[in-house]
This record gives sequence, C-alpha cells and structure tokens, in this order.
Amino acid sequence: MSAILERVDEEVLEAPNYDGEFDAVVVGAGLAGSAAALTMAERDLEVLLIERGSSPGAKNVFGGVLYTPTIRELVDLEDAPLERYIAEKRFSMLSHDDETAISISPGEWRREPHNDSYTVFRGEFDEWFAEQAVEAGATLVTETTVTGLLREGREIVGVETDRPDGEIEAPYVVLAEGANSLVGEGANLKATESRENVAVAAKEVLEFPHGENVIENRFRLFGDAGVSYHYFGEGAVGEAFGGGFIYTNGDTVSVGVAYRLEDAAVNEQPPEETLNLFKSHPRVAPLLRDARTVEYSAKTIPEGGAESVPDLAHDGAVIVGDAAGLVLNNGVHLEGTNMAVESGYHAGRVIADANARGRTDADALEAYGRALEESFVVKNLERYAWLQETVEEDRELLFETMPTAFADAGAEYFRMDREPKAEHANRAKRAVIDALGGWRGLAKLALRYRKVVT
Amino acid sequence: MSAEPDVPQITNDSMEDRLYTVKYDDAGDSHLDVKVPDVCARCTTNDCVSVCPANVWREGDDGVPHIAYENCLECSSCRFACTYDNVVWEYPETGAGVTFKKG
Ligand SMILES: Cc1cc2nc3c(=O)[nH]c(=O)nc-3n(C[C@H](O)[C@H](O)[C@H](O)COP(=O)(O)OP(=O)(O)OC[C@H]3O[C@@H](n4cnc5c(N)ncnc54)[C@H](O)[C@@H]3O)c2cc1C
Ligand code: SF4
Ligand code: SF4
Repeated sequence: MSAILERVDEEVLEAPNYDGEFDAVVVGAGLAGSAAALTMAERDLEVLLIERGSSPGAKNVFGGVLYTPTIRELVDLEDAPLERYIAEKRFSMLSHDDETAISISPGEWRREPHNDSYTVFRGEFDEWFAEQAVEAGATLVTETTVTGLLREGREIVGVETDRPDGEIEAPYVVLAEGANSLVGEGANLKATESRENVAVAAKEVLEFPHGENVIENRFRLFGDAGVSYHYFGEGAVGEAFGGGFIYTNGDTVSVGVAYRLEDAAVNEQPPEETLNLFKSHPRVAPLLRDARTVEYSAKTIPEGGAESVPDLAHDGAVIVGDAAGLVLNNGVHLEGTNMAVESGYHAGRVIADANARGRTDADALEAYGRALEESFVVKNLERYAWLQETVEEDRELLFETMPTAFADAGAEYFRMDREPKAEHANRAKRAVIDALGGWRGLAKLALRYRKVVT
Repeated sequence: MSAEPDVPQITNDSMEDRLYTVKYDDAGDSHLDVKVPDVCARCTTNDCVSVCPANVWREGDDGVPHIAYENCLECSSCRFACTYDNVVWEYPETGAGVTFKKG
C-alpha cells in the first residue's frame, strides 16, 4: 500500500466517529466509486470512500482493456500504471479446429492518445486512481465492508459497516459496489439480476519464463504496443454464449473466457474446464505455450443491457457503474470501465450541485440519470438492446455453423489443385450460403445484424 | 484436438496450484452457506457446483453441498446461479478473503 493511503487509513481508524463529518459516502473504490469521489472532492465536498479490499483494486478483476476517454479528462494519466496501448484488435471465429479472423490495426492507434485503450491491472490502476481522489481531498478507508444503508423514512441517510460502531451518516450515498451489489439489493434499490443476464469469467495471467521478448515476438509487438484478441464460436467457449480473450500486458498476457451463467449451469460447464479447453485450442495453444501461471482469478459481468438498468436516483442515494448494470457486452464490444467512470463523474457532479442547493431528494438527483441518458452510456446500451435476444435465437447458427462455414469457404477458395479458380470460388460461396440458409437466409441475417457495425 | 499435427501441448496448473497463485487471508468463518439444507437435498441440478470457477461447491453425500469457502474467489457466480435462491453470500469480514494483484 502506498504511504499516502496508509497514513489516511490510520487517521480514520483512530477516529471512529465520523457522523456529520462527511457530505457523501461512496461504497466501493473501483473505477466508478473513485471517479465519483474525485469529482465531489474537487467541488469541496467532504467525501468518505469505503473499500472492502486491503487496497482499492485488490478485489477487482476484468479482462482487460481500460477505456480512458472520460478518465483522461479527470486526471493526468502521465504517471498512471498502464501496461500497453492497444495497437491491434483481432476478432476470431473458432470451430473445433478452424480459425477465421479479421485483424484491425489502424496507424492512428499507435499515436497518442492511442484510441484511449490500454491494458492495466486493476490491483495497480484502481489503487492509483483512488489516490488521485485522496489527493483531491477525499478520505479513503479500506478493509471495511458496507453491510447496509441507514434510513430515515424513505430517505437514505448513511451506511452501516462491519467496523465496531460502524454507522456513518451522510446526506448522500453513492453505491459503486460493482456487479455483486449486495447493498443495493439488500436495500431494495435494485432487483437481483437473473442468471441469463450475468456472465461468469475465469482468467489467468501468464508469463513466459523461457526466452527473451516472447510476447513481442508472438504477438508482433514493438515498444509499448499491445493487442487484444477476441474469440468466439464453438472452439472458444463450447456451446455457451460468450467468448474467449487474450490481452497483452507489459511482461505477461491475460487469457480468459466469459460466458453466460445460464449456460455454465445448464451445460454443466465449469469455467476452469472451459478455460483449459480454450487455451488448448489448436489455434490458441501456439500463442500460450511454455507459459507459467502468475495469477488465476474470476468474476461476474452484468450483461442485461439497457433493460436491466435500475432506478439510478433515490432520496439520498445514487447507483453508478456495474452496480447499475452499465456494461456493454455484445461480442464486438466489451466496455464497462468507460461507463463506470462516466457514471461516477456525472453522479459526483450532480450531487455537488444538489448539495449547493441543499437538496437530497430523488427529484434533485434525477439530473444524474438524465445526464447519463444524454451521454454515450445509455445511448450505447440502448443501441444494442435488441442484440442479446437476437443472438440467443441464432445461437447455433452464429457460434457453431458459421465458424465452420467460413473456414470451409476459406479452404475452398484457396484450394490448391488443378481445377480452375471459378470452381473454387463457387464452392466457397456455396459453403457459406448453404450453411446460412440460402441467399434468403443470408440476406435476413445481414439485415438482422447490420446494426452491429453500421 | 491435440491429435492435430504441430499443435503444442498446453500444460495447465491444477486447481490447487491455480488457487495457490492468489493471495488469501482466512477470515476464520465461512462467508458462504446454504439457506435451507433441505432445498439442496431435493435440488437435482447442483448449479452451484457447475458454475464455480474455484471448486468451492462439492456434491455432498446427503445432497447438501460441501463448501470449501477458503477456495472462494468472490466472483459471486453461485449466488446468481442457484435458481432456488438458496445461497447465503456475505463478504468475508474486514477485507479478508482474496487479494488479486493482476485482476
Ligand atoms: C472478466 C471481465 C472482463 C472485462 N473486460 C473489460 C474490458 O476489457 N474493458 C472494459 O472496459 N470493461 C471490462 N469489463 C467490465 C469492467 O471491469 C467493469 O464494468 C468495471 O470494473 C466496473 O467498475 P465499477 O467501479 O462499477 O465496479 P468494480 O470495479 O467491481 O468496483 C466495485 C468496488 O466496490 C468494492 N465493494 C463492493 N461491495 C462493497 C461493500 N459492500 N463495501 C465496500 N466496498 C465494496 C469492491 O471491492 C470494488 O473495489 C470486464 C469485466 C470482467 C468481469
Ligand atoms: S445451493 Fe442451490 S444449486 Fe446448489 S445444491 Fe443448493 S439448491 Fe441446488
Ligand atoms: S463466489 Fe465464485 S468462487 Fe466463490 S463459491 Fe461462489 S462461484 Fe465459487
């Protein structure tokens, strides 16, 4: 833990009676929580940021790529613990033994600000980000779990913690507790998400102890450039709805799988086994061979989209980040970090405004929900609201039939024999068209999914 | 799969070794439980077992799962997965449990 956090911790633990001292309590020092704390502290509110882990980020797991368009406006990222910027995104369809992939690597991504996409470790980044909130004036306590909310009538007036005499009153509470939102659910501010709308993810960070520059060589990297590889189809997560990923960090890679809990349960498909199968896929194994496991981790992702977002503003409280279901996960995009920071920022700003007017009621805090609706957060979630259901209907076609059809088409198109190429092209075309239900099926499919990319 | 030529063999750590890579501080008490053991005894799907990435939930002789809570990665999957809402899930006290460095 850094010196500054240690010092703050001690001061706060020695003075356990905080009542009346704080204008706002933030539950959880993840990205959303620290963004809210920082925003309020900068507007001269007294903010208490409560984190259950031994330091901010200690309990947090993501893929992952941190998307920084908002956070860059809030703090100077110059000294932030970033691993690599993303210079190439690769999308890959896997059947049981084929791969068909597209790689995207615009020159622009190699120049600052690198399309605002960087791999990070949450244990390091979240701690650094919380420090920025502390430097702006917020008070951080760690190893403290919020166990419930204090109420006076309908109004939320503070939190209860697992510390002795651990009740803390404050006019505003920001719930930034992430996907496992025990506090919000316990207080009936949101429903427990159904397992169809939650993904389980298992991840491993791997290092390559044998040889020099293994990551640079395998992933064709130089300098700080990095890659994000996204895999879907039967070869990635079996019959489940989800995908696999590989991200490059400085000296390690993060590899993982994420798929619906519903499928893990119904297919009796435990995450560890799924991860092992993905890692040994014939097109994935060469990238990961001779590696040593540095750390194993797991986490859930809320993916209910726009429909799952609960009421964001309550009397005396708001919900931000994953706790509010603000994650876009549609196969092409997996984005939650940017939404967490954007929501924390708007919540903090609106609370500071309301505080200046002496208002704590839901009507006043509703401005936060409206700001989010006008931002990319809700717009993006709404844009893909239809997708989850459509993909579910086409699951077999998309994840099993299509990966094989495209690989077959590729094999036909490039077949080296003594027949004319026109024959090959015809057979390639037929492989795709037949698998997808003829021209009519293909046209329907194209129409159905055009909105993913247009 | 590895029957295919020129594919390297991937050796994966055992679950035990994997869990050994995660820093863990034992709270001394289980933060996980089942609400009504009878519900588990009658449950045939054992979804808690299928979804757990850390082999915490294990089928017990009497139909009530054993819970090796010291393995728990605090991912929360079991809580969402049990269709009988029969999982008691609390946070380990005062920051105990897992600490990830590379999450
Ligand atoms: C496997 C995986 C891969 C992902 N990949 C990506 C990616 O590549 N890019 C991307 O943008 N997003 C990704 N996401 C999503 C992203 O990680 C989340 O959207 C983001 O972390 C949400 O931030 P948050 O602050 O809302 O919640 P969290 O990061 O979960 O933070 C919540 C914080 O609250 C604390 N807390 C919880 N309850 C309490 C309590 N009762 N008392 C005190 N403290 C508490 C927790 O310890 C934690 O620090 C991924 C998610 C997963 C699981
Ligand atoms: S916890 Fe739920 S899923 Fe597991 S055995 Fe009990 S009832 Fe079944
Ligand atoms: S929280 Fe995750 S790791 Fe812990 S018991 Fe539940 S499913 Fe297993």
